[in-house]
Amino acid sequence: MANLRRRFGRGLTFAILSVVAVVMLYPFYFMLQVSLRSQSQYVTKSGFSLDSWAGLFDVLPVGQQLLNSTIVTLSALAIILVVSTMGGFAFAKLRYSGRTFVLLAIVGGMMIPLQSIIIPEYVNIAQAGLVNKFEGAILVYAALGAPFATFLMTTYFRGVPSELIEASIIDGASYFQVFRRVMLPLAKPAIVTVAVLQFIQIWDDLLIGLLFLQYPDVRTITVGLATLQSSRVINIPVLMAGSLVSALPAVIVYLIFQRYLIAGLTMGMRK
Amino acid sequence: MAMLSRALVRWPRFRKVNGVSRGPGPLKAAERRAGILFSLPVIVLTGALIFLPIAQTVYYSLTKWNGITSTFVGLGNYRSLVSDPVFWRVVLNNLLLLLAIPFAILIPLAVAFLLHQHVLGWRVFRSIYFLPTAVSWVVIGMVAARFFAGRGILNDLLAVFGPGVRTDALTNEYTAMLAVSLTFIWSVFGTNTIIFITGMATLDQDVYDAARMDGAGTIAIFRFITIPLLMRFIQFAFILTLITGFTALFSLIFVMTTGGPGYGTTTLEFFVYQKAFAQGAFGYAAAIGVVLFAVVFVISLLQQRVLRSRED
Repeated sequence: MANLRRRFGRGLTFAILSVVAVVMLYPFYFMLQVSLRSQSQYVTKSGFSLDSWAGLFDVLPVGQQLLNSTIVTLSALAIILVVSTMGGFAFAKLRYSGRTFVLLAIVGGMMIPLQSIIIPEYVNIAQAGLVNKFEGAILVYAALGAPFATFLMTTYFRGVPSELIEASIIDGASYFQVFRRVMLPLAKPAIVTVAVLQFIQIWDDLLIGLLFLQYPDVRTITVGLATLQSSRVINIPVLMAGSLVSALPAVIVYLIFQRYLIAGLTMGMRK
Repeated sequence: MAMLSRALVRWPRFRKVNGVSRGPGPLKAAERRAGILFSLPVIVLTGALIFLPIAQTVYYSLTKWNGITSTFVGLGNYRSLVSDPVFWRVVLNNLLLLLAIPFAILIPLAVAFLLHQHVLGWRVFRSIYFLPTAVSWVVIGMVAARFFAGRGILNDLLAVFGPGVRTDALTNEYTAMLAVSLTFIWSVFGTNTIIFITGMATLDQDVYDAARMDGAGTIAIFRFITIPLLMRFIQFAFILTLITGFTALFSLIFVMTTGGPGYGTTTLEFFVYQKAFAQGAFGYAAAIGVVLFAVVFVISLLQQRVLRSRED
């Protein structure tokens, strides 16, 4: 009897979880299904065609914008990784006066909402002549991602025994050599976590791209998609095809590295 | 932005001083030099592109500036702000967003509890729930707009209840805010579920077994054991969701409603963008940005105070 109740309970749990899964997956199904219809088929809700996929490439320079997204995301990511591993090493393992204050300030930087700095940011980047150039957006993305990445790397490097560094220094290695040959290889999991989190964050962003990459030929795919929606002709199946294309790279990264993403989200939450 | 609160939860860690102290001498000088050199890149980057701009924002907020000419007006922008009915309408929208948060916490909490029963395929469910985290708010908003639109899926579903039952959520100020809130709840569901499932994994299984032995039902266990033991994680999710709602919904609102109808879905964050980049009122917009910063700052401080009192 108890066993039967237990089995019923587990069956019910499974059923509820399945319903939730349908709710979470439905938008993806919707995008796919609608994108496989032409505008008229969408209205009549019957039939399938690849018209919208062909149409997407007419209204949006998909290949160019995917490339732009890749360039911007990977460049910003590279900067973030360099400054955060270096900074993390210094804040976790090198003693110098002012270290605590600087670390606190940088972590505090995470507390500043993007909208609270966006106006001078735009003015400064414009004055440097970097609006509509990849460099401007890359710098802004890198700066915005740096505090959290540095924080994460600092936390990670603190777990590395100091004896390891001291031994190498006494053996005559320079700090740079210690960083290159001891710290970086040890930090691989943290580096992957930072990379995955930042990739998704930057790839999916709209505001920075919208302001700093305004011309269609430098726009990222996410911005291209958002501006397509506000253009005159709204063809919903085309929009859905565009949505899928823009979402796909980040989803693939997620599927491959989800373990690291979850680790990044929950890192340090445990005691 | 979502990341900020992750750090705040762990803030006390920075008080700890670790490593052994090393004696004076050339080694120590070399270490100091290396420390400064290694931390320089991140200091320059964040200094130039985060800390300088926030100081500039505060200065801009004290000027009247249309992009060409600027005049110092002291607290004038703040004075106009508090007497601007639109500003209060926008604040109201932020408060309405606040109402979504209990749902954005409780639904994931319940689902995480079910996931923790580890039924067949729970790992697959976990991956599916977390998937929207990888998807841009732009894409989510794109689909959500079709869902809530007059000819959207919602009305297809409502048609079950009869031909007269229909809604056009995005064309009314308050239902549009409701639609944005529902989309927001859907979007943060995965993140919060993961936070809670991680929390539950840290709990001692013996407590559950003992409770079950004493005849406690599933609901009682959830209410009297899971929730109290997870308080730390619930607070974390709460602050993360709150700050996401206040500072990371720009893309969602931009795509779903562009802040409308009227100012129906304009939050503080979106208001900054509208005032600055649509209307060119940079000084005024900067003042809104300062207010937003202050709000987030206060929320973070409160969070830390709560955490500290719990640690004592």
